[in-house]
Formats: sequence, structure tokens, C-alpha cells
Amino acid sequence: MPLRSLNQDDRTYMQEQTAFYQLSGTTALLLLAGFYGLTFLMSLMIGKKKENVDSYMVSNNAVGFGLSAASMIATWIWAASFYASATSGYQYGLSGPIHYGFWGALMILFIYPYGRRFRALAPKAHTLAEVMHARHGTSSQLIMAISNLLGSCISLMVNFTAAGALVSVLSPLSFIQGVLIAGLGVLSYTLWSGFRASVMTDFAQLVAMILAAIVIIPLIFFNAGGTGMLVTNWGNLSAEQSDFFSTKAILEQGAPYFVAVLAYAIGNQTIAQRLFAVREDLIKSTFLTATIGYGAVVIGLGMLGMLALFVGLTPANGDMNNIIPQMASTYLPPFGIALFFILVVGSLSSTADSDLSALSSIMMTDIYGKNMARGTPDPKRMLWWGRATMIVATMIGVIFASLRLDILVMLVFVGALWGAIVFPVIVSFYWDKVTNKAFTTSVICAVALFAVARFELLPLQGVIAVLFELSASVGAGVVLGLMAFAFFNRKVAIFVAIATVIIAIPNAVGFLRDYPVLLSSLTSYGISAVVCVAMSWNNKERFDFSLLAERVTSFQKSTDNGKETSTDVDGDVAPARA
Amino acid sequence: MMNELFLTAYILVWPVISAAILLVLIVALIRDLRNASKSDSEMI
Repeated sequence: MPLRSLNQDDRTYMQEQTAFYQLSGTTALLLLAGFYGLTFLMSLMIGKKKENVDSYMVSNNAVGFGLSAASMIATWIWAASFYASATSGYQYGLSGPIHYGFWGALMILFIYPYGRRFRALAPKAHTLAEVMHARHGTSSQLIMAISNLLGSCISLMVNFTAAGALVSVLSPLSFIQGVLIAGLGVLSYTLWSGFRASVMTDFAQLVAMILAAIVIIPLIFFNAGGTGMLVTNWGNLSAEQSDFFSTKAILEQGAPYFVAVLAYAIGNQTIAQRLFAVREDLIKSTFLTATIGYGAVVIGLGMLGMLALFVGLTPANGDMNNIIPQMASTYLPPFGIALFFILVVGSLSSTADSDLSALSSIMMTDIYGKNMARGTPDPKRMLWWGRATMIVATMIGVIFASLRLDILVMLVFVGALWGAIVFPVIVSFYWDKVTNKAFTTSVICAVALFAVARFELLPLQGVIAVLFELSASVGAGVVLGLMAFAFFNRKVAIFVAIATVIIAIPNAVGFLRDYPVLLSSLTSYGISAVVCVAMSWNNKERFDFSLLAERVTSFQKSTDNGKETSTDVDGDVAPARA
Repeated sequence: MMNELFLTAYILVWPVISAAILLVLIVALIRDLRNASKSDSEMI
């Protein structure tokens, strides 16, 4: 270092050098090449010269328990899961990892009864938006489809960014090199066989992730001093952090995340796709196992954040995302660092390939199949759309990640959109009075009021604040009512919802205005439910749910004698276009 | 002493559960592979 005064960049560089162990460039490249090389070889095992267009999106609708559950876990865990769970552990202490991992896991459990209903009504569906098209029409379908296109593109960008950050922190390779390797690696094994490749490689990726977690967590714990260290450093925790039932942790982390993640579970195509792919009688066991698996891995890695708090670690550059890499660098031998490297690459790749599969399915089914093909989708052209989508989406993800564009604010809107659709989507499959107009209007109203509360476009004071707090109280009733409805009958659900609203109102008014994230999310649920119910209540027309199975069918009927036929949107078989 | 042990168990129980889930998934996959080869069908 030349003799001159250190500027901020120098200090940052030096801090990073001392905080992180670096793998050699060759080791990092070998690990990446080994990981993506093996997954690519696995995808070759299932590749077919002529892929079936339905299999490309949802496999054979009869995927077994092991593959389905593994794929659910691997998809639901993305790179941010570890970092966010560890951050929660670092900030909120004992209860922190639970307030991230437990609620995220629980949502997988709560949506499976709804998933069984969707599947029973439309067994041959490819996307949930497609079923919405059959139930309501184009506007409802496009709300779901576009929110997923945005959501999956953002997810891709976040995962590629995580790859760049990991590679640049733990090896001499650059951020851009990491982004490019991850982008090309994921695309290479997903492009040809789509969802089938995603499910198959998810299994191997999950095995690698869990094995890494099993080794890393105890190793860091014991190398950091084990039980003795916990006793010695107990004083590093504040009163809130040492309280397992910390109110602060619940209000700032648990409750907002709990509300948000329900929306993600219902609205996200990556989950819906696995729901339509698993063998119908295995939905319950798959979702139950995924609940436990996701919770164990994510909470376990969140414990590293809590341990960081115990040992008094300060995140390099004040960036909470550095907690786990720093803990790994400090307390793991080089072999453990390599395992950690694979753990993160596995998590981001399994989610990225699921996003590519989700994006391609939506473009194939909802944009091309239901809107552009005008009744006679051509399976070959459909596959072309799917693969082209993957290439374009990867390019967008890589470019946005490389430019480090701050587009995460868009994720807030996607989350709001998914929060707004939860009630209308679910109720549309149980209540035959819900109309397309009620669905669309309720979602628009909910998103608009969400934005007002979330970004405080109006001052959250006086009457305005009270109105939002009342809406949020209704939203709390909707969330708990929907959860009750998942496992009990309608009367119990309505009782739970009303009781929740009655209990929530006196507690929320004058209080929730200080928590805009939670207030806006709950408002979104409340407003969408009120508007949807109010607009549907007097509807005289009743929807026949048996129509869904007739309207949502396979696109590719047969490939006998090389002649492919496709199914038009009304359910009749039509000859495929050349 | 009891609290420390609980805290240690609280940290280390998650890898144990993860390992159990991994075992369940691998056994299920092997069973599916056998069934698929018996019936000459594809798993995915």
C-alpha cells in the first residue's frame, strides 16, 4: 500500500480482505464448473429430442414424493433466505431465526389444502393464471401472469446478484464473472427440458445444500466456542434479544413476514407449478415434508446470525449480508468454506432454474397459448416460446444484476399485488358468485391503498390513519380466517375472522400507523376482501366449477405417427399448426 | 446449566432435523426409482 492517506475505498477493501477467507481462483472455478457441469450432465439424462410441451411445464402430473418435496424445498429456499434469516438472528437474537424460517415454512403448510382444491378442479393446469382465465377471463389471468413475470425476473436478478457477491467476496473472481457463470450455468441445464430438468436437478442441489448445512452449522458453533461461549457472551444480547417472545421481533420481523409470505406462497408460479406436477394423492405429504425441510435448513442457518451476535461480530461495511460469509471465513476450515460456497450456489441456482421454468410456462400458456394463438396453440411453437423466454429472462437477469440496478422496490409492488390477490383467488375457487369484475376491481383497489400506506402518500394521522388501521384489522381477520378455512369448515373460518377483527381493532387503532410495512400489507388483504365480497354478493349468476376441468386441458394430445395435435382453449382437440 | 443445554440443543436441533428430512427424501427417491424401473415408466 503506497504511503498516502487511506480513502473510504481503501478502508473498505482492507476491511473486506481481513473479514473474508478467499478461495483461490482455480478452486472457485473448479467448484463452479463441477457444480454446473454435474447438473448439466444430469439434465442430459432426461433430455428428449422432442420434448412434450405439457411435460416441459409440469412434467407428467405424477411426480413422486421424493422429487416433489425436494424440489419444493429447494425452490422455496433462495440465496436471500440464508442471509435474511441470519440477519434476523443477528438483529432480534433468540427468536430472530424463528421469525424468518418458521413463518416461511408454515405458509407452505397452510396453502396445501387450497392447492388440493385447485388441483382437483383443474388437474391438467400448467399455471394458476391459466385456471383464473378459465374461471374469470383475461384480466384476472393477466394480473396473475404479469405479477409472476415481474416477480420471477426480479428473483432471477437477486439470485444472480447473490452469485456475483459470493464469488467476489470469497474468491479473486469478479462480481460480473460470478453473475455470468451463474446465469449461463443455470440456463445451460434448464433450457432444453424446462421444468423436468429443474425438478431433477433440484434434488441433487438440495442434497448438496442440506449436507453442507449439516456440516457447517455444528462446525461453526463448536469452533466459535460452543456452549461455553454462549454462557460467557450472554451479556452481548440486549433484553429484547434474549427474550424468546420479544414483541419487537414479532412486530418488526415476524408479523410483516408472516403476512407477506402467505401472498408469495399463493401467488408464485414456482409453487403452483410443483403443485400441478406432483401426483395428486401426494400433495399433502409433499407439502408437509417441504414445510419441515425448509424450516430446518433456514432456521438452522439463521442460527449463524444469532451466533454472530453472541461472539460480537460486526458485519463488514455494515452490510448484514456479510454476516454468514464472515462467520464462515472466521470459523470454518477451507473445506468448510468450499461447502458454504456450494450451499449458496445450490440455493440460488435451484431457485433461478425454477424461475426460468415459471417464466417460460407463463409465456407459453398465458401469453402465447391463451392470448396469441387464438384457440389453436401449436406445441412446437409453444416450446420455442418457452426456450426463447428462458434465454431472454437470463439476459435480463444478468444485465440487471451486472449493473447492480436497485429494482428491489419493484418487489414491494409484486408482493403487494400477490397480497391483494390472495383472497380473490382463493374465494374464486369456493364461491360461485365471484365475478371477473369483482376480482379485478378488488385487486386494483387493494394495490392502490397499499401504495398509499406503504409509501405514506397521505399522512398516516387522524381519520386517515384510523381508516387504514380498521382496514388492516379486517386484513388480519382475512389472513387468520383463510388459514382456518384451510383446515376447518366455513363457519369456523368466519368465526375466526370475525373474532380476529374484534380483537384487532382496539389494539390496531392508534398503534399500527407506526408500522407502515405491516399496516400496508394487512390493508391490502382487508380491502381486496371487502371489495370482492361487496361486488359479488348480489351477483345472480352462478359459476359451474366443473367447467374448469373442461376448459383447462393438456396442450399436446398425442404425438402418434409424428402428427402432433393441440387442444384449443375451449377444450376441443384441434390440429396443430405447422 | 439447564438453560445452556437448552440453548445448545436449540442451535443444533436444526441440522439434525435437516438430516432426517434428507434421509426421508433419499429413501423415497430410491423407492420411486425402483417402482419406475419395475413398471418401465418415467419418473419425470
